[in-house]
Amino acid sequence: MSTNAMRTSVHVPSRMRWGRVVLNLVLLVSGLVMLFPLVWAVTTSFKPSIEIVTLAPTIIPHTWTLENYVKIPNVAPFLRFFLNSLIISGISTVFVIGGSTSAGYVFAKYHFRGRDALLVMVIATIIIPMESYVIPLFLTIKTLGWVNSYAGIIYPTIIMSTGIFFLRQSILTVPDELIDAARIDGSSEFGVLRNVIFPTSSSAIAAIAIVNWVFTWSLFLWPLIVASSTNMFTMEIGLMFFQREYITDYGGTMAATVVTMIPIVIFFLIFRRSIIEGIAMQGMSGV
Amino acid sequence: MAFGAKRGTRQPVEPGAAAARATAGPLNRILGPAGSIRREKSKFLLIAFIPVMALFWIIRVIPIMWLLGLSFGNYSLKRVSSVFVGMRNYSRLLSDDQFILAIKNTLEFVIISVPVVIILGMLFALLMNRKLRFEGAYQTFFFLPFIISTVPAAIIFKWIYAPGTVGLANYLLTIVGLPRVAWLSNPKITILAVIILYVWKNLGYYVVVFLVGLKNIAQELREAAQVDGASLWQATWSIELPLMRPLILFGTVYATISAMAVFTVVYVMSQGTDVSAGTQITVLATEIYQEGFVYGNMGYASAVAAVLFVISLLAVLIQFRALNRE
Repeated sequence: MSTNAMRTSVHVPSRMRWGRVVLNLVLLVSGLVMLFPLVWAVTTSFKPSIEIVTLAPTIIPHTWTLENYVKIPNVAPFLRFFLNSLIISGISTVFVIGGSTSAGYVFAKYHFRGRDALLVMVIATIIIPMESYVIPLFLTIKTLGWVNSYAGIIYPTIIMSTGIFFLRQSILTVPDELIDAARIDGSSEFGVLRNVIFPTSSSAIAAIAIVNWVFTWSLFLWPLIVASSTNMFTMEIGLMFFQREYITDYGGTMAATVVTMIPIVIFFLIFRRSIIEGIAMQGMSGV
Repeated sequence: MAFGAKRGTRQPVEPGAAAARATAGPLNRILGPAGSIRREKSKFLLIAFIPVMALFWIIRVIPIMWLLGLSFGNYSLKRVSSVFVGMRNYSRLLSDDQFILAIKNTLEFVIISVPVVIILGMLFALLMNRKLRFEGAYQTFFFLPFIISTVPAAIIFKWIYAPGTVGLANYLLTIVGLPRVAWLSNPKITILAVIILYVWKNLGYYVVVFLVGLKNIAQELREAAQVDGASLWQATWSIELPLMRPLILFGTVYATISAMAVFTVVYVMSQGTDVSAGTQITVLATEIYQEGFVYGNMGYASAVAAVLFVISLLAVLIQFRALNRE
């Protein structure tokens, strides 16, 4: 037994060590390839224009300059775009957390006729791309008079079918005894939600909130249709118009691009674990 | 309803409450007696669940049905009234070169990009699932392009593909001695350029989803097989991949739907370039936008959208059939 263990611990690792070096190398190189366009954009944004349009570009600028950034506020109100994105993602996420948790709770723990049929409908709408029904959605907000308003942009994002289904799966694992105990103590159903469901499903709820945040932040077609004046633009739309206007100003465009990426990258670095978990769990729920 | 205020008062003792209960007889029969668990549940359904489901119907279900209705009319942003035109929108689609081109491009986009993201995603997930020290860093490298939004990603690539000597892609090609490529002015190449961007942008998602899936499969299973003499390749092929089947199904379906509805990368790539209009590429979603919101032909655009809807649905059904076959 001990000789066996000795053999594997001597032979396998020596062969495997090289395997692991190669493996790490492959992953490092591919990872850097993935990262390269982003790095290139960031360093370019700090280059003076003569270093950008050149026959021999370098990754690292010879002279670092902020000139590309300094001119941004004069040509486009990116702070306003940022606040718009913040308001839209924030309000949408509040709605999605409330709606998904209560609907997920009912689908997991209540029994009534038609429940399963309703749940199947929720699941079915997950797979239907929003791009295919933007026209009726637009006609709705046009009737409501919400064109070019926050309400109009937020409107289709307040219901997240994935969130409802995913929280239903998560709440299924909460033991009935916990819920019944709270009810026998005289708790209302909102009390159950607050004191039993929220604490036991907090990581699932956080995952849904983060996924919805990232999703609404990167919405493009819908705000492109709904927001018609500059003061309603989100960062995405603002950047698109900026690059259309300043198509040949590569330094300025890259600086604006970097500015647009900063909030979401910071968000990612802070919540890296939850984001990856949340995105992966979405896959796990087996939609 | 404040939590705690009702603690221990499930059976109201005040005579007033009893009288109120008697007068609200029919209500009690449906919702349950006041203060009972059944009453609380009914209340919750009324206040929380039904509004959420109503919104779900208004925002998700009804628009889809409405879309199908619109596609049989000639509703326009410029006209107030809409007339039922039967199948006219659909018959017009068949002779619309722009639409046929959009269908072709969309299918080409799906047929190339979906297998690439799924196979590469699984490959890198398998490579990363080896208890590596820097796994977190590798994951971040792959995931960053996914987490940044699409517009900045598309703009960076647009600049990389810039014509002449300005763009990085052509610069790298000249360094290795290859001829320069007209990335964004030849539609046949542009679609490949957009696919490269799309794969770069979305690969990290599939890597992460598959990686988490692989981690859920007991590592011991693979290792046990290897101890029993199976090669790493055999263990991966005959143990890990079959167990990953549901997740591969999910990934394929998800990738197909999102590629079918691709809009942003195509739109940003073909906006504001100095190339002529004829070289822009068009897919179903850009066609919906163009017809509906640029020209205002809502009825006709709805017919295009209905086609997108039906094709997506068909693709999903076919994949479920193919991958669920035991």
